Amino acid sequence: MSRRDYLLRKLLLSLITVFVVVLINFVLFRVLPGDPVRAVIGRNVRITPETQQTLREQFGLDKPVFPDQFINTLGQWATGNLGISWSLRKPVSEILGAKLGNTLLLIGLGQFFAIILGVALGLIAGWKRKTAIDLGALLFSLIAWAIPTFWLGIILLALGSTWFGLPTGGIVSPENVGKPLYTVLPDLARHLILPTFTLTILYMGEYMLIMRSSILEVLSEDYILTAKAKGLSHWQVLWRHALKNAMLPIVTIIALNLGFTVSGAIYIETVFSYDGLGRLFQTALNKQDYPLLQGAFLLLAFSVIIANMLADVLYTYLDPRVRAN
Amino acid sequence: MKRAWFFVLLIAALILAGCGGNPPATTESVPTETREPIILRTGWLGFPDTLNPAYAFLSEAYSMFDLVYSALVTESPSGDYVGGLAESWSVSADGLTWTYKLRPGIKWSNGEILTAEQVVWNLNQFIENPDGWVTNSSYVIGFVEARVVDSSTVEILLEDTISNMDYRMSFLYIVYPKDFEGFKTPEELQNFTNFSPVGTGAFKITRLDKDQQVIILEPNTEYYGGVAKIDQLIYQTFENSDALVQALKVGDIDFATEVPDTAFETVKGFAGVRAVSLPSRSLTELIINSAPSDHDPTPNRNPALADPAVRLALETAINKADLVDVILQGNGKPGLSVIPPTLGGGFWFNSDIKPVEFSLDAANRILDDAGYTLAADGVREKDGVRLELRLQFPSDEDTYPRTADMLVSWFAKIGVKATPESVDPDSLVSITNPEADYDLVIWGWGSDPDPDFMLSVMTSEQYVEGGWSDCGYSNPEYDQLYLEQQSLIDRAERQKVVWKMQEMLYNDRPYIVLYYSANLQAYRSDRFSGFIESPLGLDSVYSYLKVTSVR
Repeated sequence: MSRRDYLLRKLLLSLITVFVVVLINFVLFRVLPGDPVRAVIGRNVRITPETQQTLREQFGLDKPVFPDQFINTLGQWATGNLGISWSLRKPVSEILGAKLGNTLLLIGLGQFFAIILGVALGLIAGWKRKTAIDLGALLFSLIAWAIPTFWLGIILLALGSTWFGLPTGGIVSPENVGKPLYTVLPDLARHLILPTFTLTILYMGEYMLIMRSSILEVLSEDYILTAKAKGLSHWQVLWRHALKNAMLPIVTIIALNLGFTVSGAIYIETVFSYDGLGRLFQTALNKQDYPLLQGAFLLLAFSVIIANMLADVLYTYLDPRVRAN
Repeated sequence: MKRAWFFVLLIAALILAGCGGNPPATTESVPTETREPIILRTGWLGFPDTLNPAYAFLSEAYSMFDLVYSALVTESPSGDYVGGLAESWSVSADGLTWTYKLRPGIKWSNGEILTAEQVVWNLNQFIENPDGWVTNSSYVIGFVEARVVDSSTVEILLEDTISNMDYRMSFLYIVYPKDFEGFKTPEELQNFTNFSPVGTGAFKITRLDKDQQVIILEPNTEYYGGVAKIDQLIYQTFENSDALVQALKVGDIDFATEVPDTAFETVKGFAGVRAVSLPSRSLTELIINSAPSDHDPTPNRNPALADPAVRLALETAINKADLVDVILQGNGKPGLSVIPPTLGGGFWFNSDIKPVEFSLDAANRILDDAGYTLAADGVREKDGVRLELRLQFPSDEDTYPRTADMLVSWFAKIGVKATPESVDPDSLVSITNPEADYDLVIWGWGSDPDPDFMLSVMTSEQYVEGGWSDCGYSNPEYDQLYLEQQSLIDRAERQKVVWKMQEMLYNDRPYIVLYYSANLQAYRSDRFSGFIESPLGLDSVYSYLKVTSVR
């Protein structure tokens, strides 16, 4: 099968996945118990039953779920219209777009450091197997991987703000709010340190562990022995022969993680009051804002599917076996 | 190998660079030639949904309305109603005409003069367009019209007498008509977010960012009640209370509007911070399924709950003082009536009610006398009905699981087996009303300043889908008294009825009120002083007008 056929098949599979996701997405939020109108207004304010009925009509909730609400929603999505958020009263696509940039900035930085540090640490640990360095790196990674996100965030927030005077929340300080971000870069950087650091620690453990086991496997291969026998230096063996082969599982994990970190950012953004998608998810869930939740989950599903596609494409370059098969 | 260390160093360098940078401009930064601006930073856990009083649902919106708008009448820290835009007011002998005399020379924050015509325009909008002015309309029920008498006097005509006119007027914020005139449909009006309002309040908003959830206010120099001593008031939203507390500790903010019960003792110990426990209007109760047996659908509950002896035994077995100590860490009071003791400065709370004293022995005796005998497994039963009850509570409140645990252990000692279960709040709404499919539920209310709302929750009229009743209490005599108290203008006479209603509720026990929690707030006392401690909270407009830098 040629590379083109392979990619086409993957694309088709992705499209089918998208459709299934859309379907599940719709059903999932409709089977949630409770009444979104009550969720929007809370419990402390005086809203008459008549007013609640008006709201229900405005949201289209007075109609049956199947087929009316379903057809309505499908029709909207087909035209790229994700609907209007009930709680924020703005188009969902506009809200998501505004937050996506902030989240990408955070997870981009966090993943960048996590990948570099995690891969490097895994490489060193694998190379220096059964030494104190290996043991230390292994222990650190296992702990980092197992730590609950929320807990680590809170601890780092407390330590970072007490010891280093780092900010406790937001993307920029209140007096810089509304200014273009590039004009307040130092302030932005200060606000990014703690959430980025949290994200880095959380993901680097996983990368380190996978890299370590992968490099160990590769190092036991015959061609490594051959390379060593040829008289290549340690560094040359590692760099030219071991690394490229050991990178395959890491690429898969990174691609999958890139898709999922959008949701992983929920906890971090909540801890650091960071204005991104994660925080938006949480608000939408608390308010049972169906259109916003659906939009957000669609985006999440898309990012996972696209990340998978990317991994497949990368594989065709990294792994000759995929090309040949 | 070298590379790895390079990146470790890079991260370390980044952290150090970030820490070494300029801290965000706090009060002590940027020396200026004149006086340093005084900036008060308030941290809170929410954000207003809108600043349009026609369609605002969240309490954060009302906090802002109190700062940027005025009403004719306003609630004071002592719980009395005092003049806002109105300097004085009176009611006619028949109780059907209320006359408000405006303070002279009130100006909008843009410098224009407030006129009697503008006030009347507001009131008539609320009366004539209830579909548009959704939130205001519930406060003008029974109003016929508003009229201009002369340039400084307005008059409101009523259909029938209204007992809580001052309270109602205090929620009718007078908005700047030019901002609200152009809307043709109710939806257009409601979708207007009004994020840069012109008002007559003590502050004006200079910046509001809905995405980053920051509001910056400055004193309104035209305000009739004097000009605030701070130069800027910043509201910053935090997504979780731990971060909010930490921000106060390190001085990122000067004032936290909400401190969790569990963190209160810790916050008290922070250097340079004063933590206060203020009486609040909230209550936490144990709801007993009291839906009428002919309710549709038929209530699903343990039939023994209909027995007054069982209800009395349950209340007798609850050590409310213990609940206050353990759950609220002592910051609160044992519960009694559905009307919290803070309303109207304590005027509406029926202090004649004799609380049932906690005693497991007494509770056991009550059940013995009522014929409930202990079975071998320690659970009582009578006529084949075992005293086994579901005890549910909403999952979004972290104090309820512990409350439930304590109740379960007390109930076990009187032969009542309660099974606790956490339920998501929206499901709990439908379980209680309209399904009536529960035995006991732990939940809470934030009461209005006026007793009317909490009393209305217990009327049978509210036990319909979308109504506020959750216990399903139905008592025609109570319903009649509810209507009666609505039209009694004489406060003392109304008090009698309101007290009577509380007594009825206490004896019938659709609710066992467990405790009244306190409003826990904290501020940097090393930077600011002058906060007014009252049930309105440290964040009342009265407080913000007085507060000043200690330097």
